[in-house]
Amino acid sequence: MRLRELLRRIHYLLNRRRFDDELAEEMAFHREMAEESGGVPLGNALRLREDSREAWGFMWIDRLGQDVRYVFRGMRTSPGFTAAAVLVLAIGIGATVAAFSAFNMVALRPLPVRDPDTILWFQRHAPERTVSAVPYPAVAFYREHTRTLSAVLAMTAAQVSVEGAEQPLSAFFVTANFFDELGPRAAHGRLLGVADEKPDATPAVVLGHGFWASHFGSDPSVVGTSVRINGKAATIVGVVAREFSGLAGDTPAFWALLERHGYFVHGSRLLTDFSSGVGMWGRLGPGVSAQMAEDELAILAAELRRQHPSDIWEGERLLSAPGGYPPLIGATSIFALVGALVLLILAAACGNLGSLLLARGASRQREIALRSAIGAGPGRLIRQLFTESLVLAMMGCLGGLVLGSLVLKGIMIWTDAPVWLDPTPDWRVVTFAVAIGFLSSVFFGLAPALQIARQTQRKTFGRTLLIGVQVASSCVLLIVAGLLTRAGERAASTDPGFEYEHVIVVELSLAEHGYTAARARSYIQDLSVRLRGIAGVEDVSVTSTPPLGGLTITALLQLDGRTLAVFIHQVDPQYLATMKIPLLRGRNLIDGDERSVVVSESLARRKWPDQDPLGQPFKIGDETLTVVGIAGNARSLAIRDPEAVELYRLAREADLTGLAVVARIAGATEALAPAFSAAANAVDPNFKPQVQLLKDQFDQSVRDIESGALAVSLLGVIALAVACLGVIGLVAYSVAQRTKEIGIRLALGAESRHILRSLAIQFQGTIIGGLVAGVLGAAGLAQLLRRELYGLSTIDPIAYISAIVLFLFAVGLAALWPARRALRVDPMVALRCD
Amino acid sequence: MQRNEMPSGALVLLILRVLRSGPLHGYAIAQRIHALSADALRVEEGSLYPALQKILRKGWVTAAWGTSDTNRKVRFYKLTRDGMKQLEAEASQYDRQTKAIQAVLRTA
Repeated sequence: MRLRELLRRIHYLLNRRRFDDELAEEMAFHREMAEESGGVPLGNALRLREDSREAWGFMWIDRLGQDVRYVFRGMRTSPGFTAAAVLVLAIGIGATVAAFSAFNMVALRPLPVRDPDTILWFQRHAPERTVSAVPYPAVAFYREHTRTLSAVLAMTAAQVSVEGAEQPLSAFFVTANFFDELGPRAAHGRLLGVADEKPDATPAVVLGHGFWASHFGSDPSVVGTSVRINGKAATIVGVVAREFSGLAGDTPAFWALLERHGYFVHGSRLLTDFSSGVGMWGRLGPGVSAQMAEDELAILAAELRRQHPSDIWEGERLLSAPGGYPPLIGATSIFALVGALVLLILAAACGNLGSLLLARGASRQREIALRSAIGAGPGRLIRQLFTESLVLAMMGCLGGLVLGSLVLKGIMIWTDAPVWLDPTPDWRVVTFAVAIGFLSSVFFGLAPALQIARQTQRKTFGRTLLIGVQVASSCVLLIVAGLLTRAGERAASTDPGFEYEHVIVVELSLAEHGYTAARARSYIQDLSVRLRGIAGVEDVSVTSTPPLGGLTITALLQLDGRTLAVFIHQVDPQYLATMKIPLLRGRNLIDGDERSVVVSESLARRKWPDQDPLGQPFKIGDETLTVVGIAGNARSLAIRDPEAVELYRLAREADLTGLAVVARIAGATEALAPAFSAAANAVDPNFKPQVQLLKDQFDQSVRDIESGALAVSLLGVIALAVACLGVIGLVAYSVAQRTKEIGIRLALGAESRHILRSLAIQFQGTIIGGLVAGVLGAAGLAQLLRRELYGLSTIDPIAYISAIVLFLFAVGLAALWPARRALRVDPMVALRCD
Repeated sequence: MQRNEMPSGALVLLILRVLRSGPLHGYAIAQRIHALSADALRVEEGSLYPALQKILRKGWVTAAWGTSDTNRKVRFYKLTRDGMKQLEAEASQYDRQTKAIQAVLRTA
């Protein structure tokens, strides 16, 4: 019954024109007959017809059509207003769309692999600890016994030396089922599979697409040729398609089989040892939930613990996390921050457009009055005005989608983002853009529509609020930009406490190349001797955490209820001298001095404010060391954190395979880098360590802050420009409204400054209110920023004051321009006009 | 001008009732109701055509073009089976209601 009625209505909708004509004809006939029999026709024929058509419930389409047609006609007559409105809105929506697309791309969209939703990533977990590396023998055990997982995948990354390449290259070792399970295409040749696992199969590798393009110039004939990896021969059997992301969200130069790890990496015990581990993923079987898989694996882990009591932890279980999505670590606060910034731009844009619409409404008073005089009720008027806003919003939305995608694409090219990330807007982005467009049309359009339709032009509350929003949001952006710029300056100008201009770092990754502690010791000794022999090298030493290298080792210290991270440098006695870190008191470390520690001055001050730090015990884990010396502060592992604290202790036997070599040079470092590579090659021709100039890394970390500051400054300037436009409109409108009053005052002898002051007084409340809200907002946002950027001071008076001065200056100029018109008012003309 | 406003439900009932004896065009429906009510009820265009559109939508009548007595092309409305059912249901309900109202009026 209901369905048939719906079908009839749809039939009506499709043949609406014919139905309407028939109804008109029928009603005309009725009228004729009624007149013939002496009746008097009642009411407007058109109106009666519309009432009848209302029964079908589709009149809103007609009205919407009318309104939209009317909007477009209006737009054609004022193209300037339309262009300005759409542009302002496109900027506001574009910024939000770009931010959301970025979030969507890396957080909401799964990786481009087969059935990403059934892939889980596993970590070892016991009540006390969580570790992401699972020992390979355990992985093999789980793979053999699991019934809930249809496949178990494993992967480990390594740096490999390749014949003909200066720097070490990345290789991912994966299980034989990896490509079959994830289903990537081969761009050329074939991918690795179970057949390559057989002991008698020729060792095969597959190239990553990016490496194939950069290193082999995308030459397909490379497939089938042989390559020496870590000195071992292997055949290149194929190239993985460009759009394949793997599971780590990163693609290597080479893909090889994990089962062949022992072949490529000399002395590798990865496949047999419980002390190392690999990344583990699993694919859920049909109808199995993640919880069921976790429960089963917990039972298997307990069983494995019975066989290997010392290798599997007590109460160990595997924690699962969605594996088919890009790994996002600690990026949520960045997204929250970016989200807050772009919403501010949107708020400024909406506030601006709202006041534009109100000003336009004032000039349309006549039209509105006329429309309401011929029978349009307030509901009909609001609907029409709101339709205008909606059409504007949808045009802005389209512009915003285009602008946002372009900006995102530009950022991705600029930041060298992985190629498998696809910035093309998907349904989520489009839905988001439309929703934002609709919400902003409510925000900027509804208040003006209500005010215009009610003909209450004199009440300026809505207008004041809209300007206040613009003032506040542009103010927040300017202050945050100022804070970031200052943080960048500070990072660049203050002394980091260590030598970086003249230092070369040789990152060794000996463990990944299968070196034992004894071999590592002789390698490092040999290399150090050769490096010292190079002319211009002043000093050579080792550390487990090279400066600015991204690798940190920390001890957590409880101080006054707060947790303090202490950066631990495992070094040799020469390290402080090499890095030119001054020893302030006490003595340096000496060889064999494993129970001693040198602490930084900042750590000494924090931990023993009232005592002599020398001779104090210091606990790291289960060990208790004695403080023997105090060194100068050197933020080599946390360049942006002026409050970082650190300590130095000797590297021990177990640390040997994880060490890097640092060397200080007398002159420029660039010239000596090739000599360093040559020296390493002479020690072990199969292993090419990474030689880096510390200066480059230092410059890079300063540039990171500076480009962040630049981006926020740009947003701030856009918001400021938008706010200035809004203020110009507001003052111009106010001057137009008060022409008569100003004329009278001028005629009575008022001076220009009186007139200007009376204009200024009208807005000072709004501006001050907006400024206060802006300062408070900025202080809040700075707290959020501080979590990411340690150098940022939340109460930096210079940043706040300069932002406010800049703002007042720009807004003052913007206000003065239309205000001049007030002074040129001719009293006679003003008094004569209505 | 005498205004005998009737609830739209009642108008629908009357339209369905006069169509039971055969298809009629809009003007004839109004005339028939007028005549049958001994000139007491006057059905205006403003209420007749919305009501007719509504019962078309409901599927209680169908419309087809035909020729009037005066040889004019005009649309005739014909009761459907659904319309007949609806008429019976509404008529009996209306009956019950008026009886109830009259009972109250008589005794109160």
